[in-house]
Amino acid sequence: MPMRRRSALKWLVYSTGVLASAAIPFAISHLLAPAERIIRKRHLRPPGALKDDAEFIAACIGCGLCGEVCPPRCIKFHQRDGGAQVNTPFINPEQKACTLCGKCTEICPTNALLPIERHEVDMGVAQIDRSACYPWVDRGICGACVSICPLGEQAINFKQWNQYQPVVQEGCVGCGLCVEVCPHPSLPIRIVERSEGTVVGHTI
Amino acid sequence: MNNTVHKPFFAWKHLNKLRWLSLATVFAMLILIPFLHVYQTFIAAHTYDLLSYSEKQIYDTMSAITSPFVSDPEEQLDALKGNTWSGTVGSLKLSDPLAVIGQIVGSRAFYWPFILTALIPVLFTVLLGRFFCGWICPATFLYELNSNLAILLRKSGLRIGNKRFDRRLKYLVLAIGLVVAVATGSVVFAAIYPPAVIGREIYYAIALGGFGSGVVYFLLTLLFDLLVSRRGFCRYLCPGGALYSLLGRFRLLRIKRIVEGCNDCAKCTAVCEFGLDPLHDQFGQECNNCTACISVCPTDAMTFYINPQDIARQGPGHLGRKYKQQKHEQGPDTSVDLTDGK
Repeated sequence: MPMRRRSALKWLVYSTGVLASAAIPFAISHLLAPAERIIRKRHLRPPGALKDDAEFIAACIGCGLCGEVCPPRCIKFHQRDGGAQVNTPFINPEQKACTLCGKCTEICPTNALLPIERHEVDMGVAQIDRSACYPWVDRGICGACVSICPLGEQAINFKQWNQYQPVVQEGCVGCGLCVEVCPHPSLPIRIVERSEGTVVGHTI
Repeated sequence: MNNTVHKPFFAWKHLNKLRWLSLATVFAMLILIPFLHVYQTFIAAHTYDLLSYSEKQIYDTMSAITSPFVSDPEEQLDALKGNTWSGTVGSLKLSDPLAVIGQIVGSRAFYWPFILTALIPVLFTVLLGRFFCGWICPATFLYELNSNLAILLRKSGLRIGNKRFDRRLKYLVLAIGLVVAVATGSVVFAAIYPPAVIGREIYYAIALGGFGSGVVYFLLTLLFDLLVSRRGFCRYLCPGGALYSLLGRFRLLRIKRIVEGCNDCAKCTAVCEFGLDPLHDQFGQECNNCTACISVCPTDAMTFYINPQDIARQGPGHLGRKYKQQKHEQGPDTSVDLTDGK
C-alpha cells in the first residue's frame, strides 16, 4: 500500500511538473506584460473598432496591420502597460491623431476593425475645458481646432461668427485632430466618452 | 550489390540551400515592409525637405527599390503588408491557422472572412506537413543560426546542455493556450508564438521607434535553445508547431530512407533539427520536410516520396545488412579482432 501511494504521489508530482512547464511560455509573457493598474489617459481605439473593449481585445490578433497602413502613423500598440490587451492598437491623439482615412478598417483581417463611414465613427467626443481654452478665457484668437476638423461645421463650430470660442457639435466622432493641434499646453480639449458631454462640468 | 541510388533530379541535394534562401527572403521582407510603410508615410505627409538626413536616406533607398515596380507608391505599396502572423498580398489576405483558432476561441464567435484567410495555409499544411516551420517561419531563421552558434560554442569547449523533453509537451502548450484564451478573452498565442512576436517586433522597432516586450521573450527562448536544449522551443513548446503537426499528420509529402543506399552513418539523425531519427525511419508528424537530412546524406539515400503514411522500420542499411548476412552464413566473424588486442 505505501508503495502504491508513493507511486501515485510521484505521478502527481510529475504531472504537475509537466503542466507547469507547459505553462512557462504564458507565464513569461504575462510577466513581461502585466495588466495596467491605473489608466490615467484615455487611449482611443482606431475607427471602426468594436464598441465593447473586451470584445475588441478578444477579436484582435495583434498582427499590427492597422499600424502598418496608417498614413500619419498614429496607431500605436500596447506594450508593458497592456495585460490582456497587449499588442492591441490604440491612438493617443495628444501625440498623433487619426485622420479618419479608414485604411486600417479595410486591411484588418478580423472583425476587430470593421469598415465604417467616417460620419458614423464613434471613438468618443471632444470635450472643451472652458476655463483653459484661450478664446473662452480672455477672448483670444485661436480657432485651431475648428480649422483642422475633418468633419467641419457639423462637428465643431464657433459660438458666434466673430468670436473664436469653439463649441463641439453633435457630429463629432472623436478623431482627436483638435487635441493634436491645440496650442494650449494644458490641452483644454480632449476626447472623452460620449456620455461625459462636450463641456467640462466644473466652472471657475 | 548495387549501392547507387537513382536521384530524382540533380538539384535534390541543394534543396536545403533553397530553404535557407526562402527563410532569408521571408526575414528580409519582414524588415523591408516596415521600411516601405515609413516611406509611404513620408510620401503621405509631403515632407521630403523637412526630413532628417537618415530619414532622407530611408526615403531615397525605398524610392530606388520600389520605383521599378510601382508608379504611385503611396497607394500601390499597400498591396504588400503584414507578417507571417497575418498579411496581405495584393487582395489576398493570409493568416496563420493558430491566429484563427486562437481568435475563434478567444472571442467565441465565427467571423468567416477571417477564418477563410487561413484556408490556403491549412490546405498546404495538410499536404506538406509542417513546411511552415522549416521553410517560412522567421523564427526558424534565427533559431537555426542559434543552433549553429551552439555548435561553435561547443567546439570552443563550453559545456552546453542538450536536454531532451517529451515532444508531446507542445500539444499541452497548445491546449493550455486555448484554455487561457477562453479564460482571459484574448488571443494569447500572439504573445508567445515566436514568428508572430518577431514580425511584430521588427515592425515596432523600425516604424514605431523601439522594440516592445516581445523581444525579451524571444531572447529568452533563444537562450533556452542555446544553453538548455537544442531547438527546444520548436521541438517541445511551440503551440504553432503543435497545430501544424496535428494538421500535417496525414501529409502526402514525406521523406524516406532508401535502405539499399543507406550505410548507417547516422548523419541524418545528427543533423535533424527536430531531434527525429531518420536513420531508424522515425519521422512521424513532427518532420517539417526541411531536407537537411537529404542534403547531408553522403550516399544520397534520403528522398521525398508521396504517401499519406510513413513506411515501417526498414532495419539497417546495406552495410549492416551485408554484415548480418555474413554472420548468418559464416558464423561469428573471427577475422577482425574486435577486442583490439587486449
